[in-house]
Amino acid sequence: MSSRRPPRGEYIETDTGNKVARKATLVGTQNIMLGGKTVIQPEVMIRGDLIRTIQASSQSASGAAPNSTAVSIGRYCFLSRGCCLRPPGRLYKGAFTYMPLRIGDHVFVGAGSVVQAATVGSHVHIGAKVAVGEFAIIKDYVRILDGTVVPPNMVIPSFSIVAGQPARLIGEVPEGGHEAFELRDIYKTVGNNPQPAPS
Amino acid sequence: MSSKRHSILPPAPAGSKPPIHFSSSITIADSALLTGTHPIAIHSESVVHPRARLDSLAGRITVGRRCVVHERASLGAVVGTSGRITEAAVTLGDYVIVEVGAAIEAGETVIGEGTVVGVGARVGAGAVVGKHCTLTPHTEIAAGEVVPDFTVVYSNGMRRTDKRGAAELRNKGLARQIDVLRRMIPSNPAKFA
Repeated sequence: MSSRRPPRGEYIETDTGNKVARKATLVGTQNIMLGGKTVIQPEVMIRGDLIRTIQASSQSASGAAPNSTAVSIGRYCFLSRGCCLRPPGRLYKGAFTYMPLRIGDHVFVGAGSVVQAATVGSHVHIGAKVAVGEFAIIKDYVRILDGTVVPPNMVIPSFSIVAGQPARLIGEVPEGGHEAFELRDIYKTVGNNPQPAPS
Repeated sequence: MSSKRHSILPPAPAGSKPPIHFSSSITIADSALLTGTHPIAIHSESVVHPRARLDSLAGRITVGRRCVVHERASLGAVVGTSGRITEAAVTLGDYVIVEVGAAIEAGETVIGEGTVVGVGARVGAGAVVGKHCTLTPHTEIAAGEVVPDFTVVYSNGMRRTDKRGAAELRNKGLARQIDVLRRMIPSNPAKFA
């Protein structure tokens, strides 16, 4: 059995505490920002190559260096196996451009989900097999149940629970329920020397 | 479980390259996966994203003009061994978008012009999807089903007819998108020749 164990660790652990699986597919890595302590499991795909082609008018006027970040992810995010993050794209002033995908802290993305949102807030739980449409805006403390299809341009307010195809508001996160969104414990359970989850 | 050897490689023999007929103006990412034995034809200005999978083991695959095949989409996936189909082609019309993780099974499957196959949708073997249809995410089209033109399939199989008449506009937008993608995705058609 020992021969089947990979000789190197399954994950690459960076100085800032990110754990990136060697089998994850990150395209355009120079345009992907990880905040630290983020877990990227195997078979995750992040499209960092789809950068914006039109700069905001205020930026181009000031002559600042173009900001080419395509996907930015905060701290303690957890990207489960097989999920896919890609920036949304649309026609803007007559030309097609991709827009950056911003993800806050403590965001959990379930297995096999596809996220093409414009913004995902902090403490958001996205279940497995969820499709988040282009330019959706998900605020803080939102729970998206498994198999949900979030339509393009939908705005999900804070503390809501959504489900269905298309997604509908089915409830609210109860008082004191926001502690369940913390991902510090799950962060420790993966990596090259994982620790058992505290019971 | 008597076998001691575990192969890490996929069961299909690696190194068998399908015959290809590419237009010179297509964009195909280096990490796209083309396998099988039947010909794969991609017509002008179409875009194939990284990790898209085109499998011509069951039959030929034809991708029309100005199509976009997104990452992890799978064209010509073979459905087990139950339904033995002798000729099992997959044909995409022009201006077809196959979104992330969608699967189009082999078996004389036809996707009409201007149709969008949504994220994670699945089109069964032998299904014929009409022109300008929209299959929303996670839609399942059963094998052999015929979907008429301008149908929107949504919300677990509900259907309605698209009366917006926005097909022309959509095609123009798609052309712009392809222009941008062509600059962003490093194309390497020579790898598959």
